[in-house]
Amino acid sequence: MVKALLASIIAFSFAAVAENNSINGTVQSRCIISTDTEGTYGNPNAYTLTTSTSDGGVLAVTRFDVTLADAYYAQITAPSEFSSSPALPDVVTWTGDTEVQAVSDATGMADYETNKVEFNMTDKYDLTATGSTWFKTSSVATMGGDKAFPGGSYTALVVAECIAQ
Amino acid sequence: MKKFIILLMIVGAVRAHEMVPTYPTWETTYVDGVLKTTMELFNKRDDVEYYEIGVFDEAFWPIPFVTTYKVLKVKYLSHVDVDIYIKKEDKDKAMYICSKSKIKKEEVIRTAVSSRICSKFKKDL
Repeated sequence: MVKALLASIIAFSFAAVAENNSINGTVQSRCIISTDTEGTYGNPNAYTLTTSTSDGGVLAVTRFDVTLADAYYAQITAPSEFSSSPALPDVVTWTGDTEVQAVSDATGMADYETNKVEFNMTDKYDLTATGSTWFKTSSVATMGGDKAFPGGSYTALVVAECIAQ
Repeated sequence: MKKFIILLMIVGAVRAHEMVPTYPTWETTYVDGVLKTTMELFNKRDDVEYYEIGVFDEAFWPIPFVTTYKVLKVKYLSHVDVDIYIKKEDKDKAMYICSKSKIKKEEVIRTAVSSRICSKFKKDL
């Protein structure tokens, strides 16, 4: 009898301290830009820096996640200057390109690469399907007059933009 | 291919830049002739601490605006709400609000990714 009474007291005391704790969230359309891989320049000869894997470089990979179809453009611009570098002895010539590397929806995103618009170093993609798209960007910097790149650190920026339509 | 995508999703979930809403709207304020909107930034890039905010017209020319800081400190994995104010007369010109990551100078030979997300004021909203 006493045990039963104690048990019911304990049960009621637990019931008294129990509270509801809610987790709130809002679902809305969004675009997320993720840097999957930062590119690295290989240095196959004295006057070239390249992200080509065969020359020891690494391509920059950027991922775009969209949760609403036909709502965004992805615009990716390969570097056309160094954001930081030592003093350079001559003019640098730049080439670069962006391509779709992988998609999460092989059917809905199949035409992204063929339908892209290119102007100068910028590639513009119409994100017509929801999901993730990985873009790989290559970059080559060549020093003018076959002069050597001075020793030091070099950084160039890939600009990845997600613009609402 | 599936394994490759899953691997990329796991690896790639590390560094991301996010801004909502996609289609903001202007609200009136208690100051006559001034409109306000609020944007939410989320920083999931551990290599970026600062984001620059800008308001632009259709051709991406800058529109004057006021906010607490134009370059905001957004700690890794934190959300920041930004109130942006413009003059009522600029309402029809303002089309985009963009946030752009500010990259630090580092001692490596690499390409860094500067991310920019632009939300749009839809005229029919």
